[in-house]
Amino acid sequence: MIKSAKILLLIFPSMLVYADNPPPPPLVVAHTAVAVERLSKSQLRSIYLKRQVIWPNGDKIKVYMLPAKSVTHQQFSQANLQMFPYQLEQTWQKLTFSGIGTPPVEVASAAHMLQLIQTTPGAIGYLPYGNEINNAKVIEIQP
Amino acid sequence: MQKLLKFNPKLLAKALLAVTLGQAPLAMAADDWHWHGFVAQGLMQAKDSNFVNNDGDVSAKLTEFGLNSVWQLDPSFRLAGQLMYLDGGNRFQQGLRIDYLFLNWTAINTLDWQVDLYAGRYKNSHWLFSSTRDVAITRPMIVLPQSVYFDSFRDIAVGSDGIALQSTYSSSLGELDLNWSLGATPTPKEQSQRIISNFITGATKQDFVHQISSFFRPTGSKSQWGVSLLDSDFNYRRTMTDIFADGDFTVQRVMLNWRYSEENWELSSELFQERVSVYGFYAPGVQRTQFAQGAYVLARYNLTPQTTLYASYDHFYGNKDDKGGSLLPLQTGGQVADYFGYQRDTALSLSHDFGGNWRITAEYHWTIGTGRLGPNVVPDTIVNRSKNHQLWAVQLMYWF
Repeated sequence: MIKSAKILLLIFPSMLVYADNPPPPPLVVAHTAVAVERLSKSQLRSIYLKRQVIWPNGDKIKVYMLPAKSVTHQQFSQANLQMFPYQLEQTWQKLTFSGIGTPPVEVASAAHMLQLIQTTPGAIGYLPYGNEINNAKVIEIQP
Repeated sequence: MQKLLKFNPKLLAKALLAVTLGQAPLAMAADDWHWHGFVAQGLMQAKDSNFVNNDGDVSAKLTEFGLNSVWQLDPSFRLAGQLMYLDGGNRFQQGLRIDYLFLNWTAINTLDWQVDLYAGRYKNSHWLFSSTRDVAITRPMIVLPQSVYFDSFRDIAVGSDGIALQSTYSSSLGELDLNWSLGATPTPKEQSQRIISNFITGATKQDFVHQISSFFRPTGSKSQWGVSLLDSDFNYRRTMTDIFADGDFTVQRVMLNWRYSEENWELSSELFQERVSVYGFYAPGVQRTQFAQGAYVLARYNLTPQTTLYASYDHFYGNKDDKGGSLLPLQTGGQVADYFGYQRDTALSLSHDFGGNWRITAEYHWTIGTGRLGPNVVPDTIVNRSKNHQLWAVQLMYWF
């Protein structure tokens, strides 16, 4: 029985991760002028995969991301986009080298991310849950 | 229609240079201009086949570099292009090429539905790895499964000159992609020789390639399912001294694909049947049709966030009614051995990322049969005398 469990964990290591309560997902944050209150995970994925490039009011979407190694990015990728970070990286490379799209702009820290979102019309990004957010809009993410 | 599909590489090269160079100082100030690139160099050896070269020596002909640029003209229009240099030995034509160069019109862009149209030289987006099979850093392995991604056919299959459409619709059930394209690809003589025969002296032309594909990702699922259809005609026009006759070729492919992803591993697979009809070519009046079949399974395992192990098994039959190739010696007076009728390949590959944008990949292939070694129509029976052959390759890559 224990051996079987070990084999299962070897094959499905993610079972370990989800055995405990997962941390709250990062908050999706946009510029205050963005006229969208909520997005589905599928719609958020379209934005981060650069299929969706303009907001419903016609403003250009400016997409920001934290470094791929950051814990917040990895949580965002899995919890908000429902993609594993390596899938996201693969898709961005495919978009970049087939001319279909360009990856999001990478920023070094959550503080810089917030600053850019506050000052860039059409901007969207994400911040660790619990961060203080002012002069920016938190977008509700629906299943 | 032919005139509509005719592609002027010089004109597009000028346009690409305008994008990459001429507009750069102007556009770099704004955020509407982006450029990226990659460089990859490696070593490979295929001792007992003509896959890389004819002498079986270690070869450095594993060079790939590319530079691409995107210029966002306004929210709905983009111009994108990529210049690329490839040297893969016998695998494909060596030299500089325009990989893609197209005008993209975003026709519909709502939160749940996106439709994009492309005009110019577009990439083939209908198979799992088709759009970037010529970009080292986006390929899972240095040598992709040859049943589907036959290298001799690579330049024709990687993209075309014409028009394409890509659409994604999101609903509570999942995401549905629909892709369509119609175009043609120039086929220089050197490339035709790699596909058809080393002995042709005439000209080959692709009349058209028409493709449609669909991918579905169910909500809450870690899998993706897809189907793609291809229809293409080629013609061959002999020269006065040619040993071959004028000929017409029809290629039609039906393919299913599937991918399942977990946090540390992923499985991908593609399965196809391809009808190849030849009219003439061998001699006036000859008509021959056969159905090829192939499939591969590719597994990925993330050993660490930086190190990835790949394993693949690939299986190909040139004729589904003669899977062992036993008809080939009978049809050719013993000149073509039965093992030209199939190819089975098992491969292992290890990739390691370091320093942010560097990767090194090493891989080994064990192959039985020579059915996916070029040329395809009249095989090279002089070099490819071994039923069993192996291949190793190491490649260092950098991208920005």
